[in-house]
Amino acid sequence: MLAVQASFNPENSASSRGPLSEITVALPAAVALHARPAANFVKTAIRFRSRVTVGVNGKIADAKSILAVLALGATGGTVLKLNAEGEDASAALDALAACVSGLVE
Amino acid sequence: MVGIVLVSHSFELAHGLAALASQVAGSEVRVEPAGGGPDGTLGTTGDVVWNAISRAECGQGVVVLADLGSSVLTVRHLLEEGRSNGHVRLVDAPFVEGAIAAAVMSSAGQDLDEVARAAEDARGASKF
Repeated sequence: MLAVQASFNPENSASSRGPLSEITVALPAAVALHARPAANFVKTAIRFRSRVTVGVNGKIADAKSILAVLALGATGGTVLKLNAEGEDASAALDALAACVSGLVE
Repeated sequence: MVGIVLVSHSFELAHGLAALASQVAGSEVRVEPAGGGPDGTLGTTGDVVWNAISRAECGQGVVVLADLGSSVLTVRHLLEEGRSNGHVRLVDAPFVEGAIAAAVMSSAGQDLDEVARAAEDARGASKF
C-alpha cells in the first residue's frame, strides 16, 4: 500500500537555495532498499539538481550516494522520509515517490 | 558511460566483485575484472589489466580500482608506459565500496570526474 503525504513550507520558498519540500513514502512490502532497488532510487535522485535526503528511523542519508542509502538498511514496507531542497525539489520528490512505489526485487 | 576496471591479486575476487557491481548498477555499465597471475596463481599481470582497460573503454574514460600493493604498481607501470590516452584514472579507494559507488555513478550517466570522486569518497562511508 503506497502512502504519500506531501508538505510544502512556503517560509522556505524564498531562500536562495530554492524551495524545500518533504514527503513520506513506504517501500513496497516485499522490496528492501538494497542492491538493484537502491541503485534505481539513487539514479533517480541524481537526475535532479536539488539536494535530496532520505530518512529511515531517524537515520538520514544523501539520496545520491549508493553507499549511504545501502547503509540505511531499509527493509520492505519501511516508511522513507524524503526531503529535497532546490529549484527542482518538487519534481525530484514526485519522481522518487514514483520510483519507490514501483520498485521490484 | 565511464568504464570500471577492478584489479586484484585474485581472479575470484576481481570477478566476484565485478559480478556484484554489475548486479547493483545494471549490466549496461562495463565493469571489467583483471585478477590473478599466470596459471591461476595470485598476482597481477600487466597484459590482463591492459586488456580489461581496453574492454572497459567506450569513449568516456575508465576508472581503475586496485586491491593492494603491487596491484597499484602494475596499473601505475602501465599508465607510465604511456599506453593510456589520458582518460584512464587510477583511484585511491576502498575496493568493494569504491567499485559499487563508481559503477552506480557511471550507470547514472556521470562523467569521469564524478565517477572517480564517488569511488574515492567511499573511504568515508559507514556500512551501517
